[in-house]
Amino acid sequence: MNTPDKKNMKHECPHQQECLQLLQSILDGEATTEQKDRFMGHHLEECMPCYQNYHLEVAIRDLLKKKCSNEAPQDLVDSIKQKVIQNLSK
Amino acid sequence: MEEEFIKNNYTDAQKQEIFDKEFMPQINAMYNFAYRLTLERDDAKDLLQDTYLKAYRFIDSFQQGTNAKAWLFRILKNSFINDYRKKSKEPSKVDYQEVEAYYNSEEVDRQITPDLRVESLGNMIGDEISNALNALDVDFRTVIILCDLEGFKYEEMAKILDIPIGTVRSRLHRARNLLKEKLSEYAKSMGYKTA
Repeated sequence: MNTPDKKNMKHECPHQQECLQLLQSILDGEATTEQKDRFMGHHLEECMPCYQNYHLEVAIRDLLKKKCSNEAPQDLVDSIKQKVIQNLSK
Repeated sequence: MEEEFIKNNYTDAQKQEIFDKEFMPQINAMYNFAYRLTLERDDAKDLLQDTYLKAYRFIDSFQQGTNAKAWLFRILKNSFINDYRKKSKEPSKVDYQEVEAYYNSEEVDRQITPDLRVESLGNMIGDEISNALNALDVDFRTVIILCDLEGFKYEEMAKILDIPIGTVRSRLHRARNLLKEKLSEYAKSMGYKTA
């Protein structure tokens, strides 16, 4: 996607919900190459609401990855390993 | 999953190897899933331990070379539903069906206008997104975790959750709208410019 010329972009999208669903499939790696090329290379450069949605979707995913992961406590990991070893020796 | 019908006869050494090389590397992702489902550290620990011991007990039905992460996530999800969901404060299945019917209505897509901006997300450096995620109904929370955090494909999610792919797709879409709604509430309450 090139950086679009904001002056020439539409400020209303008549298909915003449908576009958002398509955008999400693209970001989820579930869209076809053709869908992806048409949307990313064409629609996003002319449609402001979808362009903003794209950046918002990407930012939310980044934030989720950064802020919503918790590592298992080491004592729990050790205790699970221990229990399995005990099971094996039975 | 079809691999459940295949019975292997692994030796103890093979079992140990599968456990160490295929199951243990998923332990952080599994713990996070357990925590996000139960929302309690102690329950998450119990759920994780139960799941790993179950995985070990049923190791003969795990087919080497298949997706261990999806296999483990499915066991954890089922254990959660069978053993934890009942006693937790989550809404019952009936309530949930009403919730999903509501969120699947066309009405809701029109109502939700996520007036959230990238700039206000930049200010959410604390627990805002984690709290927003935890505040979602467990079924909406689950699809976001599986897809956005763990990178499962829709088809894998359908198998983990025992639901059709179409439901995965629509539930994800609603879940993301709801998450944005929560985030935009936070943004407003924090006084950030949202529109």
